[in-house]
Amino acid sequence: MNRARFGTVLFVIIALAAVFAPQLSGYDPIKPDYRARYAPPSTTHPLGTDGLGRDVLARSLAGGRVSLVVALSATLLTLTLGGVLGVVAAGLGGVTDTVLSRVFDALLAFPGFLLILLVVASLGGGTLQTIMAMGVAGSPVFFRLARSFTRNEMKAEYVTAAGALGATRGRQLMRHAVPNFLGSMVVQVASTAAAFLLVEASLSFLGLGVPLPTPSWGNVLQDARSFLTTQPWAAVGPGVFLASASLSFQFMSDGMRDMLDRRS
Amino acid sequence: MTLTTSPTAERRRGLTEREVVSRYLLIQTVSFVITLWAVLTLVFLAMRALPGDAATIMGGLDASASQVSAMRAQLGLDRSLPAQYITYLSDVAQGDLGASLRERRPVVRVLVDRMPVTLTVASMAFVISLVLGLGLGLLAGLRPGGTFDRVALLFTTVALALPEFWFGFLLILLFAVQLGWFPVLGLPPQGLTLAASWHLLLPAVTLAIPRAAQVARLARARVLEERSSDYVRTARSKGLRPWAVAKHIASNSLPGTIPLLALELGGLLTGTIVVEQVFGLPGLGATILGAIGARDYPVVQGVTILAVTVYVLVNWLADIMQVVTDPRLRVS
Repeated sequence: MNRARFGTVLFVIIALAAVFAPQLSGYDPIKPDYRARYAPPSTTHPLGTDGLGRDVLARSLAGGRVSLVVALSATLLTLTLGGVLGVVAAGLGGVTDTVLSRVFDALLAFPGFLLILLVVASLGGGTLQTIMAMGVAGSPVFFRLARSFTRNEMKAEYVTAAGALGATRGRQLMRHAVPNFLGSMVVQVASTAAAFLLVEASLSFLGLGVPLPTPSWGNVLQDARSFLTTQPWAAVGPGVFLASASLSFQFMSDGMRDMLDRRS
Repeated sequence: MTLTTSPTAERRRGLTEREVVSRYLLIQTVSFVITLWAVLTLVFLAMRALPGDAATIMGGLDASASQVSAMRAQLGLDRSLPAQYITYLSDVAQGDLGASLRERRPVVRVLVDRMPVTLTVASMAFVISLVLGLGLGLLAGLRPGGTFDRVALLFTTVALALPEFWFGFLLILLFAVQLGWFPVLGLPPQGLTLAASWHLLLPAVTLAIPRAAQVARLARARVLEERSSDYVRTARSKGLRPWAVAKHIASNSLPGTIPLLALELGGLLTGTIVVEQVFGLPGLGATILGAIGARDYPVVQGVTILAVTVYVLVNWLADIMQVVTDPRLRVS
């Protein structure tokens, strides 16, 4: 089985588990149960319970919903922001192109995680703020990709031919150039999603991302940090879920790059 | 911000190689200064956009409006934005980053105090990722499709997908809790000395593994490109020993990883934020997090300026180093 397919199957399994979380675990991921605190893994609690007696499996699955939605929304935002402006810059050229390129270059001069941290902090922390910060911080890469792809495609003969047949510049861009490189962007989209899953987890771990009591993989792991030496199971389960989800996107990205390389 | 010229075009204008290189260096330097200025301006604007200014925070909850405005005048916050901007730039240029609101002492002193821990972890991590990354990449690239290559590929894929802090947890559980080789948390009790720096090995490894994976991937790709070039085929057909060919390939392909290494080295100063939290280390990362929580904006600004300056500086040096180490970039 090639890597892209393996990644897709792994992702679908994790996503289904997250969607059907309530049916799968049967425990409330948020309500504390003080009689069941610090229970080690058993048949009733497959991954044990945390300091408030909540089922770790239930919290991992529910956390997956939040983490996946956050990472995928941020990926969509960064693709839209960087991609659309990249096409616009390449399509219009001139002053627009220069100004946009300079703005995104300046963003690239920040170390990535610091930029995300500062944006989240200035917006005050929280789920929506995390999505926006990652969307902004990821956009320069997509801007550059979309800009250079568009410039290359616009020089291609088939686009010139379309122009000679009377297609407007807008039509050349949207009907001919853009559809031709979208496939190549998918590689970057998948690896960005993999990275954003980890960034969301890091931010929530630092207490700046998804606020408690809503579980996300990051803040569930933050909870587990305090009891790491005595109740290690609370850290293992959610970490394995998070790593597998990130791995699934990484596999998709690598697999698709291999396919594109082979084709060219 | 990059200003690039084509060396070929300049050669056509009848310039010597020396002139082309010095012109390139000049342009790179100007571009470095412009980038730094743009970034410092962004930091200035971002800090002014944060909720609440220094005067309201220093005054606390029970400060009267007149006390706050007096404080504002004292801090120079009542002046126009352009005037504040000029003062800011000249202060930063002189190395004056203001005073911490929480610790009531110059930000520069705070930074100097917290720097050693971060620098130690960061430089250990950099060395590990450099050696591991280049080694793996080279060995994998020399025999693509071989067993080592497959194992290396699996390693880099998993390493890139591992959440940094969770990997830190696992290292703590295995090496500190189970085996007891390392302390679970914090700095050695006698303080940070050279002899005690092995205490920081676990955080350094945590940082290094994903970075090594990235270096290994790029190094492998560069080695693969180099392997298929004509001079390698010639060298092989002449009967040159495999390790001698490998040496040629290595010295021609590995400098290609300099830009990535620079990005990683430059990013390590703030890349330690999460790891410092996991291992309870009082470095720059802990400082900026604490300052964000306490709204100690001069410290947030100070760490940001330091980190960004180092980041831009290292990348600038890497550009120059690449031209110096790789003569091909000067001619082609």
